[in-house]
Amino acid sequence: MLPLEHLQTTMARSVLAIEPLATAKILTAGKADPLARLRIYQNNTRSSLTAVLMAVFPVTVRLVDERFFRFVASEFIRRHPPVESRLARYGAGFPRFLKTVDTLSDMPVVAETARLEWSIAEALDAASLPPRALAEFDNTDLGPSPDIQLQPSLRLIVSHWSILSVWMAHQQGAVVDQHSAWTRRPERVALWRAGDSVRLVLLDRANFAFRHSLKHGLGLEHATSRALALDPAFDLVAALMRLFDDGLVTDVRIPIHPLSN
Amino acid sequence: MPRAFPPLAIPASAGIGLRSPHIGEMLTRRPSAGWLEVHAENYMGDGAGVEALERLRQTYPLSVHGVGLSLGSARGVDPDHLERLRKVCERFQPDLVSEHLAWSVADGAYLNDLLPLRYDEEALAIVARNVATVQDSLKRQVLIENLSAYVAFSDSSMNEAEFLSELVVRTGCGLLLDVNNVQVSAHNLQYDARAFIDALPAESIGEIHLAGHAINRVGADTVLIDDHGSRVPPVVWSLYQHAIGRLGPRPTLIEWDTDVPVLDVLLGEAMWADMLSASIMFDRKQAARQTASAKPQPQSTRVSFEAEARTSMPVLAAFAVARAGTAVPLALPPIQGGYHAAA
Repeated sequence: MLPLEHLQTTMARSVLAIEPLATAKILTAGKADPLARLRIYQNNTRSSLTAVLMAVFPVTVRLVDERFFRFVASEFIRRHPPVESRLARYGAGFPRFLKTVDTLSDMPVVAETARLEWSIAEALDAASLPPRALAEFDNTDLGPSPDIQLQPSLRLIVSHWSILSVWMAHQQGAVVDQHSAWTRRPERVALWRAGDSVRLVLLDRANFAFRHSLKHGLGLEHATSRALALDPAFDLVAALMRLFDDGLVTDVRIPIHPLSN
Repeated sequence: MPRAFPPLAIPASAGIGLRSPHIGEMLTRRPSAGWLEVHAENYMGDGAGVEALERLRQTYPLSVHGVGLSLGSARGVDPDHLERLRKVCERFQPDLVSEHLAWSVADGAYLNDLLPLRYDEEALAIVARNVATVQDSLKRQVLIENLSAYVAFSDSSMNEAEFLSELVVRTGCGLLLDVNNVQVSAHNLQYDARAFIDALPAESIGEIHLAGHAINRVGADTVLIDDHGSRVPPVVWSLYQHAIGRLGPRPTLIEWDTDVPVLDVLLGEAMWADMLSASIMFDRKQAARQTASAKPQPQSTRVSFEAEARTSMPVLAAFAVARAGTAVPLALPPIQGGYHAAA
């Protein structure tokens, strides 16, 4: 008789269709064929995890057709099953996996759009903190380079492909014009959670770099110099007002520096 | 710092499983639903659903139902996942917490399905250790749910009911009786569903689940699939009637996970559960009165309202009994054991 751990490993590999069960003698199912019954678990695992991926990557499903998506998802599930039961985290590796699929090698926009959809899923599972208004800091001396804290759900993605245009073209009510949307044109996207939906905006290089630096805690001075290096006409005041208007600022702090006497 | 919620106790009546398509309507309508149950794993992040549940928790008693702890895993429960469950309980302060007698993690993979155990001493020791770890971490009793199964193990040395009963003795856990799971497993593995219910320690059962299942025919095999995707079928209502007849009223959840219908359908199913439970208890009282009146009684000066009210069974309750497909027996057995919810 197999020890329980060995038994569970054997069954798990069978359920994931990695290797068939060596012997059906360990199982019973009344008068039914135990191996046929075991296939119910295989089907449950594959179909439920496919449903998880389809819910996270709806535009990707439409780009490649549902039947093909299901095929690719099955392969992904078999090779990369979830490592934890918190399924909100399942699918992070799916965009990268799509890049390895031969059939999609001439359609890199598919994996790139999936990358955008994964960021949307991450943002939807992130906290949304109360936004701060610019007027709250009217009488506060924040020094020359305050730390600006941004919403934890903010995600910044840059792609060589027009991923936001593709994504927008597949939203409800959008007029689909795939020929114009599938273009090799760099797009820089900022997205964050607003209630139970996500806001997505296109940014230019300077504003993208500005928000990227702030998001990674590099401070306002560093963020501004990065933006100005990319675009000498970068308008800091307009960029700051836009951050507040977008509800992205959750706090502004004076950085703590060691005393230097 | 977790928010303070009112300590709302789950009543021995019907509640519904909170599903994402209904959250908006629950927040605006605040319908009369006895209590809510959520899957713990859906509330381990910080999304909009979490904020919504915090608002609903102000009004509704809450049960947290885990689906991913894998209490049957030989390698033990994942400490990270257990910590996430602990934080969910700390955040929402549920009145009941439950998990499954199953495993879903092995070989580093989470299968997203609940697989059965080989019921033997080795598994019992492992599950008891895992349940004790969970109860120690959460500092509370958890209810363990019986499984819907499609296969069993040739080398099992006991049945699932015996396993659960011994688990209660060893860990002090409670039980969650999923009546639909009983029907699914009893049909698929060919045993007596009522005998299974009767074999469980009645006083340990702190919650009941009701749901629908699919019927698949593959060749000569008719297999029941536990898909939670339809109304509670008559055969499950009938088993529920048997369970309530034995246990008395218990917190009862309407579960619906696939092809989720409009909220009112769930609320309607919950109403039927309440009606059925009420009709059983009503008939039990009637039967007790009839027994009492048949015996010579000492003259009493105390006049009770109940003794005078010789009404017939309420109409809605009669419908509930009719839906269950069988008549309520005139002479019901006495309730075995008291009701001790995990609360």
